[in-house]
Amino acid sequence: MKRIIIGIVAVVLWIACVIPFAMGKTSSSGSEHEFTVLAIKEDNVKDYNSMPVYLDLAEETDTDVYWTFNTSTQYANNPDPVGINGIDAIYHSGFSNLRLYNYGRRGSILAIDQYLSYMPNFSKILDDRPDIAEALKSPDGHIYSLPRVEEMGLKAYPNILFLNKKWVGKLIDDGQLPAGLTLEKSDLVDGLDLSRNQFKAILQKFNDLDMDGDGDTTNEVPLTFVSGNWQGNESDLIASFGVPENREHKTIVDGKVVFTIEDENWYNAIVELNDWYNRGLIRSSAFTQSQDNFLARGQDGRYGAFYWWEKETVVANPDDYIVVLPLSDDNGNRYVGVSNELEVEKGECVILSSCENPEKLLAYFDKFFEPEYSAQLNYGSIESGAFLRERDEQGRLVPNDDHGEQSADDFRMRNAPYGVIYLTQEQWENDVQMESRAVLRLDRLEKYVKPYTYEGATSIPNLNYSAEELNELNVYESSLTNNMLNWMTTAIISAGAPSYDSWQSFLNENRKSIDAVKSINQTAYDRYVAALDDENE
Amino acid sequence: MEINDAAFAVSAESVGAVDEELVERAYEELSEAEEVRKEGNGKWQKWKENFKRRGWILVFILPALIYILIFCYVPMYGILVAFQDYMPGDAIIGEGTEWVGWQNFQTFFSNPNFLDYFMNTFILCILGFIVGFPLPIIVALLLNSLRSKKTKKGLQILYYAPHFISLVVMVGMLELIFGSDGLLDQISIKMGGDVNGLQLFLDADAFRPLFIFSGNWQDFGWSAIIYLAALSGVDPALHEAAKVDGASRFRRIFSVDLPAIAPTIVMLMILSVGNLMNCGYEKVLLMQTGGNLETSEILSTYVYTFGLLGGQYGVGTAAGLFNSVINVVLLVIANYTSKRISNNSMW
Repeated sequence: MKRIIIGIVAVVLWIACVIPFAMGKTSSSGSEHEFTVLAIKEDNVKDYNSMPVYLDLAEETDTDVYWTFNTSTQYANNPDPVGINGIDAIYHSGFSNLRLYNYGRRGSILAIDQYLSYMPNFSKILDDRPDIAEALKSPDGHIYSLPRVEEMGLKAYPNILFLNKKWVGKLIDDGQLPAGLTLEKSDLVDGLDLSRNQFKAILQKFNDLDMDGDGDTTNEVPLTFVSGNWQGNESDLIASFGVPENREHKTIVDGKVVFTIEDENWYNAIVELNDWYNRGLIRSSAFTQSQDNFLARGQDGRYGAFYWWEKETVVANPDDYIVVLPLSDDNGNRYVGVSNELEVEKGECVILSSCENPEKLLAYFDKFFEPEYSAQLNYGSIESGAFLRERDEQGRLVPNDDHGEQSADDFRMRNAPYGVIYLTQEQWENDVQMESRAVLRLDRLEKYVKPYTYEGATSIPNLNYSAEELNELNVYESSLTNNMLNWMTTAIISAGAPSYDSWQSFLNENRKSIDAVKSINQTAYDRYVAALDDENE
Repeated sequence: MEINDAAFAVSAESVGAVDEELVERAYEELSEAEEVRKEGNGKWQKWKENFKRRGWILVFILPALIYILIFCYVPMYGILVAFQDYMPGDAIIGEGTEWVGWQNFQTFFSNPNFLDYFMNTFILCILGFIVGFPLPIIVALLLNSLRSKKTKKGLQILYYAPHFISLVVMVGMLELIFGSDGLLDQISIKMGGDVNGLQLFLDADAFRPLFIFSGNWQDFGWSAIIYLAALSGVDPALHEAAKVDGASRFRRIFSVDLPAIAPTIVMLMILSVGNLMNCGYEKVLLMQTGGNLETSEILSTYVYTFGLLGGQYGVGTAAGLFNSVINVVLLVIANYTSKRISNNSMW
């Protein structure tokens, strides 16, 4: 009896050991399809395999593509599915320059430039746009990825300052406006002109008084943002001191790569922000919260002012908020920086060399660049109701904002796969209208932000580094990024203002990294400019 | 001829004598060998019989052996990546393997922040060890000297329950209590403190205490279990004798209990010294903010961000290998020291 029981236990243990291996073998599927493409997709996005736009694409090119998925979290922990068998391409791969080059060099991913004869649309893009062709090249001159190009002129300016006009109105009613500031309620419209000191005084009132009328003076959030986030960060607040700040602290001014942290104005800005923090005008959550936390807290209606791209996604009562012009300094000058978020995203899709018939797969992906398909990939399939039935006078597709119960944001998140597209000024004019939210955003930026760009400041384009440069950059940039983030955050949140010497010694400690990154970027940028000049001649 | 004969006779005689000796010795040796063989055969026989009767018990150890083989020994060849320019999909040994010698280590050591990361790791781990090692011993000794079995059981469960909270939830709890707009922050603001309350998550000085104390709060009860098991093996007669001799409760802990579990303590100490530089990157990563990077960036988070996310597998592996080598050195030192001092050692 005892032996039987022990025998059973042993058998069960063994089975428990063996089952996972056996399951692993059976779970792979899709091998009966012509191509299998791994896409990075969140679970709330609909399955690509049944999305009308992909079905149309497959039908038109007579290509049988099976989509398999990883969520971005899975992908972050295993960012290199290149070694996995049975996958022909990775969609939304997001490969960096270094990854593209390293894989391309050893032949794990295909050099797409060798198949251009199968890709009429992509070839045309490369011919028409030498800057994109230049940006896509790896150090060995090959193109290893399909890009995402969506040029709306938005991404370079990711911050707009919004102010709670209801609260300011309350200050006016209660006669609590800061001394020296005269405002009528009729002044409280988009494009409000405030100096930095006036703004600071208003925030001080927000902090001191019970603005939301719940009897608690401590739960108001005078000013908030998401520090270091790609949109809605503190950059333009710092820029108002006269420095072309962005979240990487790195930009190009008149053809020269500069680090904003070396600018005396940057130091002055940090000292002032430290004062704002210690007065309670900026809550600490600005430095710890994620984008999701920020958006969730916004629904409480306790934000006095915030930086974001659009107020509609942040607060439940967007009508209560107005756009404030970039804050002016003591001389009445206004400055905003330019971000390095680019509208040509390089590593959007890569083809693995294990793909047996890359010509056909690339011909399929080439269709993605056609305006009708690009539009559907970007906003959702026509059949799913992403566009109005009627095109406008110019024959353009018009994105549909009204999805009944669903918000436009939710609809797009579930129905639009994004990815490899090509939408530029030409397409916006002839084939598809911009989403109304984008038009609104663009309109606000054109009116209230872009005119105040720091003179000569531009984004750092997709630069083409040599192999050694990539490696060197890699060594210095990671630690420098860490150190800059750490010094800036600590300096702002410490009890006393950072001394001039502490800033200098921070710069000296990182001198080697700063100079190395700057000179590598400069060399690559000069090469980029020269290459474009050659093309133009 | 005679001379020759005589000479021959002499030589024959001596040869005969030698032969006899040789033969005798050979016989002895043979019989000895025979005995040894017989004995060996006997042992072998015994072992065989034993195996036939109880050998199936060994089946139980097989899964563990296979587990260790597959998950601990087989992956070890992966450290070769530290000497390669490696990307996933490459053969670790085979065609196309790009050997780069010590270059990955050079890249790693030439990181301007290398020394900071190393010291952060070392300080965090050594402080964790100093606080975390004695705690379960003290708790086990105290629990063991409780009179009521029920109280002892209850407390024990209460102490080890937090062990089962997952890391992410744990850090979430920490954030709710110590983070921005957290419990302490709110209390401090409501009590009229600083406008910005208490920002322990942004404070580089608060990172280590938070990390270490939350970690120990989670694990001291769990770690105490092994000491409690060792304590249950103490002969009650020893306690009786000590009582008769008039030893107080406290005295008995020091003179009876502690010596009884000393070998266990030493063994566990050697093991945890060998694991000293592994603090686990997940929790550190979850607790990192711009404000505490100064103390919270450690080697293993560097391996994760630079190696895995940055696609620098060679450098990441080199950093991990460097960490492991330090661990092995510490392990050898700990083992040697304890061998000299207390005669307890792993080998």
